[in-house]
This record gives sequence, C-alpha cells and structure tokens, in this order.
Amino acid sequence: MSELTHASAPKRFVGRQLLGSSQLVLGAILAALCIAISIAAPQFYSEANIIAILRQCALVLIVASGMTMLIITAEVDLSVGASLAFVGCIGMAVLNSTHSLSLGMLAALAFAGGVGLFNGLVVTRLRVNSLIATIGTMMMLQGGVYLFTREAVQNHNQMASFTDLGAGYVGAVPVPVILAALIFVVAYITLRFTTLGRYLYAVGANDKAVRLSGLRSERLKLFAFVVTGLCVGVAGMILSSLMNAGQPTAGRGFELTVIAAVILGGTSLLGGRGSLFGTLLGVLVLKVIDNGIIILGWNQDLQMVVPGVVIILATYLDIIRNRANVR
Amino acid sequence: MSVDFLHPEKGAAIDTNVPALELRGIDKRFPGVVALDNVDFILEPGKIHALMGENGAGKSTLIKIIAGVYGKDAGTIRMRGREVDIKSPRDSLKEGIKVVFQEIALISEFTVAENIFLEGYPTGRAGSIDWKKIRADSAALFDRIGFNVDPSARTGSLPVSQQQMVEIARALAHEARVVVMDEPTSSLTPNEVSLLFTVIRRLAALGIAVVYVSHKLDEVFEIADTVTVLRDGRHISTRPIGEHTSDTLIQDMIGRRIDNLFPRKRGAAGSKIALSVEKLSTAKKLNDVSFEARAGEVLGFFGLMGAGRTELAKAIVGYDPITAGTITVDGSRLAPHDTRTGVKLGIGLLTEDRKSEGLMGELPVYQNASLASLGAFARLGFVDKASEHRAVQDYVDRFRIKTPSLFQQVKNLSGGNQQKVLIARWLMRGLKVIVVDEPTRGIDVGAKSEIFALIDRLAGEGLAVIMMTSEMPELLGLADRIAVMCEGRLTAIMSREEATQEKILNAAIG
Repeated sequence: MSELTHASAPKRFVGRQLLGSSQLVLGAILAALCIAISIAAPQFYSEANIIAILRQCALVLIVASGMTMLIITAEVDLSVGASLAFVGCIGMAVLNSTHSLSLGMLAALAFAGGVGLFNGLVVTRLRVNSLIATIGTMMMLQGGVYLFTREAVQNHNQMASFTDLGAGYVGAVPVPVILAALIFVVAYITLRFTTLGRYLYAVGANDKAVRLSGLRSERLKLFAFVVTGLCVGVAGMILSSLMNAGQPTAGRGFELTVIAAVILGGTSLLGGRGSLFGTLLGVLVLKVIDNGIIILGWNQDLQMVVPGVVIILATYLDIIRNRANVR
Repeated sequence: MSVDFLHPEKGAAIDTNVPALELRGIDKRFPGVVALDNVDFILEPGKIHALMGENGAGKSTLIKIIAGVYGKDAGTIRMRGREVDIKSPRDSLKEGIKVVFQEIALISEFTVAENIFLEGYPTGRAGSIDWKKIRADSAALFDRIGFNVDPSARTGSLPVSQQQMVEIARALAHEARVVVMDEPTSSLTPNEVSLLFTVIRRLAALGIAVVYVSHKLDEVFEIADTVTVLRDGRHISTRPIGEHTSDTLIQDMIGRRIDNLFPRKRGAAGSKIALSVEKLSTAKKLNDVSFEARAGEVLGFFGLMGAGRTELAKAIVGYDPITAGTITVDGSRLAPHDTRTGVKLGIGLLTEDRKSEGLMGELPVYQNASLASLGAFARLGFVDKASEHRAVQDYVDRFRIKTPSLFQQVKNLSGGNQQKVLIARWLMRGLKVIVVDEPTRGIDVGAKSEIFALIDRLAGEGLAVIMMTSEMPELLGLADRIAVMCEGRLTAIMSREEATQEKILNAAIG
C-alpha cells in the first residue's frame, strides 16, 4: 500500500508544481504577448529578431540566476547595477594593461565576487538589513567608479577573443546566450537537485530552524551573495565587450530589471519560495515587451511603463489564482 | 457617577457593598476543551483578589473574558450590580475594566504621556492637542499612584517595570473600577516587585478592585486579601488569604491525582552519562547550572515563567552564547554557541516555538523532516529523492503523521502533527541527547498522549531526553528525575520517587 503512495505522489507533485505556480500565469502572459505582437508585426518571428531578443535576455538572465538564489534565501542585492558598470571598467583596464583576456576576466570576477562577499559579510556579520546594506554598496560603487575613472575606459588592443565575448557567435547562437544558458543550467541544477539548493530554500523559509539543525545559515546566505556577485562579474565583461569600452554610466536601473524579472517569475521576497524556471519566464516577458515596443514603433519611454504595469498585473493575477486554489 | 482620580474630592464615593465586578456561571468552550465550566468570580471594590491555578486551569481564559478578548458561552457579568455585555476589549474598557497583560500593550515610540491619553487626547482651542495639560495630568496621575516616571520619556526606553506603571496610570486615566494584572512580576527584580506592590495597594486604597493573577505563592500571601483557585476550568475555592496556608493553597491548585496519561513502556535508564553540564552561565539568565543526564532517561526541568528553562535549552544545544561553563555530550566537549558541532556530537533541540524556530511553513513535509539529515541522502551533493522520500514516509507511517502527502506544506498540518514532523527530523538524524522544550505547547489534548508516547520511545531507544516543562502532570508522568529551576539557578534535583508536587513547587518558588 505504501508502495502505491510512493509511486503516485511524485506525479501529483509535478502536476501541482506546473499548475499551482505563478509560472502558468506568466507562461500565458508570454504566449499572449508573442501572439499579439506577431499579429501586429509579423517580423517579430524572424530568426534575426528572436536571436536579438535572446541576446537582450542574456545579461539579465545571468545576473537574475544569482539573484534568484539570493532572494530565495530572503536577502536581496541592489548593488548589481552599479557593480556591473564598475566591473566593466576594471575588466577593461586590466585587459588594456595585461593583454590577457583571462586576467581581465579574473579581475572582473574577483572584483564582483568581492562586492558580493562584502555585501554578504555586512548582512550576516553586522546584521544590517540587506536592502539597506546593498543600497549603501550601490552608492559607494556609483561614486567609487568615478574615483577610478572619469570617463569610459576605451578598448585599446581590440582582442578578437574579447570582442567575441559579447558579439561572437557559435553557429547561429550568440556567445552571451550560450554563457547565460550555461549559468542558468548550473544554477537550476543546484537549486533543484542538490543539498546546497535545498539548504538555500530552507534558510529562506526559516533560518533559525536551519541553524538549530546544525547548519550554518550565515554561510549559506554569504554563498548566495558571492554567487550573485560572480554573475555580475560575467555580465559586466560581456557588457563592456558589447560596448567596446568600460562605461562608468552603464547599468543604471539594471538591478531593478533583474529583481523585477525574479519577482515576476514568482520568487517570494520573503524567501523560501521561487524557481529559476519562473525567473527565465520573467526575463523573457520583460524582454519581449521591450522588443515589441521597438518593433511596433511605439514611444521608447513605454519600455519602462509597460513592464511596471505587467509586474503589478502578474502579481495580482497570482493572488487571485492563490485565492481560487484555497477554495 | 464616574470617579475623577485627579480630583477625588469631586467624585462620588464608591459603594463598598456592591461588588465591583460579578461573574456568575461563566462557561467557555474551545474545540475539544472545556476551558471554563460554570465559574463564579466576584470582586469587591478596594480589595486585592488573587486568581490562582496551574497552567491550563482557566485563569487566562477568565481574564480574557473580563477583558473582552473572548466572548463567554454562558453566564452573566455585572458591573456594580448592573448586567453588562462585554463583546470586545473596547466594551471592557468602557465599563471601567483595565487588564494589564504580560505583554505590554503600549506604543513604544510614543512618549509616556502620549500613551496614557492614547484613547482621547485633551484638546485646547481650535481642536489642537493640549500637550501642556497632557503632561500635567500625567504627572498628577503618577503622583496619585506614588510612582515617578518622566511623562515625556519615550516609552520604549523605559524598563518593563516602569512600562507597567504607565499601563496602570493609563487605567487611572480611564477611570478604571477594576484593574487586572496578569503575572505582573514575571520579569521584575525583587526591588521592582516591592515598588509594584506599593502601587497596587494604592490602587486598592482608591477603591479599585484589583485582580492579581499569579502562581507565586509568596507574592500572593504578601499582597492578596482574597484568593480564588481554579482547576481544570472549574472554580475550586474562594477564601480570605488568612484561611490559607501554603499547603492548603497548593492542595487546591493541584487537587486531583494525575491519571495515567503516560503509559511507560521503556525500561530503566542506563548508567552511561550522555550529557554533562558544568557551571553553565549566560549573560542574562543562567547562573552556575550543573547537571548530568544518562542515556535512556527523561530528565524533566520544571520552573515557573522566567525561571530560565528555555534559556538553558538553547544554551546547551549551542544556539545561544554562554559566559561560563562546559557542556559535554557523550564524552566530547561542545564548542559553545555552535549548533553545528552540537548536532554532530548528537545533541538537538525540539523548540518550544515551533513556528518561528522549528518549522519551514512554506516547505513540504518531507523537506521539513529531512532538514537535519539531508546529507545522509546525498551522493556528491545531489539529493537522492527516492531514498529520502522513503525514509520520511517511514516516519510518517510509524508516527501516524496525518498529512495528505509528503508534499503538503507543513503549515497546513495540525500542531500535533507538526510536532511529530519535527521529532522525525531529529530521529532521522540520530541523536544521543534531545532537548524538548514545552513539547505539548499548542497541541490539543488528544495528540498530547501521542507526543508523550513518542518521548517515552525516544528514551527507550537510548536517548537522553531533557524535557523543559511548566506542566506538572507532564513532569511527573514522564520524567525519571526532576530538576527544578528558579530565576536562572538550579534549586533542586530529585528522583521521581522522592518528588512531590509540594516539593517541586517549593523549589520553583525558590
């Protein structure tokens, strides 16, 4: 008899996960958007446009992968946009002076990982609320980048391998998309199948229970901060490759796009709940909207307005769906 | 005919022949429990009336009915002879009843004076708030109760004892006829207690009927005029304090023999020392606590509220920092303030506060159960879900955990089933010492005996069980040995055979 329950339970679970999550709502929104846009503008479905959308998604998805983990632990990082710009400048400067892509990359990762570590230590050791701590870091980085460089750090040696990082292709697929897919898959597997992933959810759901169970809840949060930082490192290098320079002004508002995508994907700011698949859908929805506004020739300022409306709408639909489930 | 306490000469005299508050035949039922059964409770003006009883006797239900927090199922309430209908805390306040609960209900960001006049600020010309009058009136109120608190101090910055005074002053501002104090001394120092008593006597002298809820015998003998004892939701006795001795009072409180809710299946405890605690102290509470626990025994810790049981529980599992002392589990020293080595050595805590320290409410049953033992189900960091689910299912079956599936969010389970999930969490890990803190708190009667049986089984499987409890029957029914705490110190440790309720209560009072 208990064999029976074993066999049937996981199936029910999968079914419930698909139906019972905000991803259904989000998937429907995404489908509706795609259909509506392609009716109005058939060129939406061209290969070139799809590749363009995916490339747009890559940067956001890379950072959102880390951010999803972090928000699942009930913390948040608002400094990712400021860090993104700084990382690009540092990576470019190191690249210019060393002529080595790996050293540039390493410097970028070290700096961005260091920012994550700093955020994590402030939050877990000094017990400063992560919202406040990372706003502080954001301001430090936004000002600090101008102490580092007054203007954009230009690409002096134009290494092909560096240019490929942002603009290259493997077959028909842009390199940033491949990097994003890799990071996404690793993060997905970690969250879904490993003990580490389970502990991240646990620490977000109840960090006291985690500590009483003999686990180090602070270390887990610290880990998520550093991972988010490292993701910013990768994204920052891609961005500077795309812009062919390290831009201190880049990345303004980037943190909001990333967090919006994560939350749109159904990850709870309270921690313990969320999924990377939802984040992927969230990123896609935001970027399809961006793309649609451009293709349809609408006023570009709507690129900010429409996603704002979508976030509120999607969250509201999710509440309605939850209420219906309870009944 | 209200009494103006600021200017008593203007008010009408209080008629001492009519009871200030008269409750007759009060019934209150909760699902599965009769909390109050035909209880009478009569308060005379100007008298201090102690309300006593064990936990679960119905004291707090009764005062919550007086306060309008709960509605009564049957019975009548009269204020000064007039029947009243108290449906909400607001009604209660309007009738002149002020309940000072253990948790202070003041706005900590406001000043003392602002809190006192919270329900109605006196206004001056053009409807602006008359701050001068507020400060002056507050000062006058404090003067009357003979206690000095700066009316313009921020309330949150005051010690608890002074916040209680603010609550009392607030009662006077509302022209209260009845003031109920729920275990007011549980977080006070002896000096603060004697100050509080002075203030309470002043209230009585003003003609206010004071209800003093406590289970501290010495305090009741010192302050009360009359004592009412409740037991199991029934009124047992109301007598002038002069007719009582400690023994008669304790007898009234306990009364019955404890029935065999506790089927003991385990054998005698072994001789191996599983846990040894020496000279343990913490910054705030514990003071030089030493004891040993053997494998296979249940060592019960009893103490009144604030005795330091929970603090002890959290310190010995490494959750809270300690200032002195050593903890040894199965021969190995525990690094203080480190649950990681604690769990590795085999000591874990079943917390008293399931919701905030035990459960991950949003997460499914199986993840809650396997939290402490997940590593055992993993290969190279990947969770083998099939074996994990099998292990959890095994506990769900053995413990008869009622849940529609392993994937149910644990917050949807009943208290008893949640507790079983948390016990399973530790058994899946395999412990040598388990500390259970108030294991049946918030669990309904039916499930309690199942939890008791599980605790018996834990000891039977060779664990040392340290059980913190404020429930006397639980203590006597389950423990092999009984340790008693009072104000952070261990005041007695005795075998079950030599333990009597009187001995335990005496040690708990200190």
